[in-house]
Amino acid sequence: MSGENNWVKITRVFDASIEDVWSMWTDPELFKKWYGPKGMSVPVADMDVVVGGTRKVCMEMTTPDRAMSMWFIGVYKEVSSPTRLVYTESMCKEDGTIIPPQAMGMPEGHPDTTEVIIELSESDGKTTMTMVHVGVPEGTAGEGGWNQAFDKLTDLLGA
Amino acid sequence: MDKDAQLDAAFSALAHPARRVILARLAKGEATVNALAEPLDMSLQAVSKHIRVLENAGLISRGRDAQFRPCSLRTDPLAVVANWTDQYRHIWDARFDVMSGILKTMKGKQS
Repeated sequence: MSGENNWVKITRVFDASIEDVWSMWTDPELFKKWYGPKGMSVPVADMDVVVGGTRKVCMEMTTPDRAMSMWFIGVYKEVSSPTRLVYTESMCKEDGTIIPPQAMGMPEGHPDTTEVIIELSESDGKTTMTMVHVGVPEGTAGEGGWNQAFDKLTDLLGA
Repeated sequence: MDKDAQLDAAFSALAHPARRVILARLAKGEATVNALAEPLDMSLQAVSKHIRVLENAGLISRGRDAQFRPCSLRTDPLAVVANWTDQYRHIWDARFDVMSGILKTMKGKQS
């Protein structure tokens, strides 16, 4: 059920400056405002927006009975302000331990790690944003996100 | 339901973690409401409400046994939304609608 395309591509044109659109992705307070529509709020958005920096986001849905939280962790792979931003994302526990999406009730075929690529360009006061959300196939370069990057680092250090 | 209405109903039903947990459990076989409630930290009444939402979206069916009425998964509507990319396209589109609104407000403040 993995489907033909393992990615989502969305292009939008905003009547806004490129800096404002860039800040939507990189300023935690602004990011929290748009990232959780339809009854979801974003109580936590920790972002260290540098290459290799971590991002940790909590999405929360509050029902009359209780609040349910979903945590996501990832790492910034490219940060070229204000034109290009690339980061990875995996579901995790509050402490950052990565959990398989199926354990959270996501359908089979949902990748453990995904990558979000944002490209911005400005023309005549309008900003064109192209967002590509890619499922990282298992066993390829960039797989498993930072967890495995740490494993490799450990290997390199001869542990 | 036509395909669009079916997608809308399925997506709004899937837009809750508890309901996804219920579906994941039913993917392994039919279960009673009590069994479905077990891993969820909520009242039976709340679980029943989630089950009704899933049932209305056509994602699950209930048995005829008047007392237990076990739930089982109906896969046809799920096949429409099984691809994760379809789910995320919906989610991102909704997010960018909100982003667009915020950007408009910011621009209004600047000028």
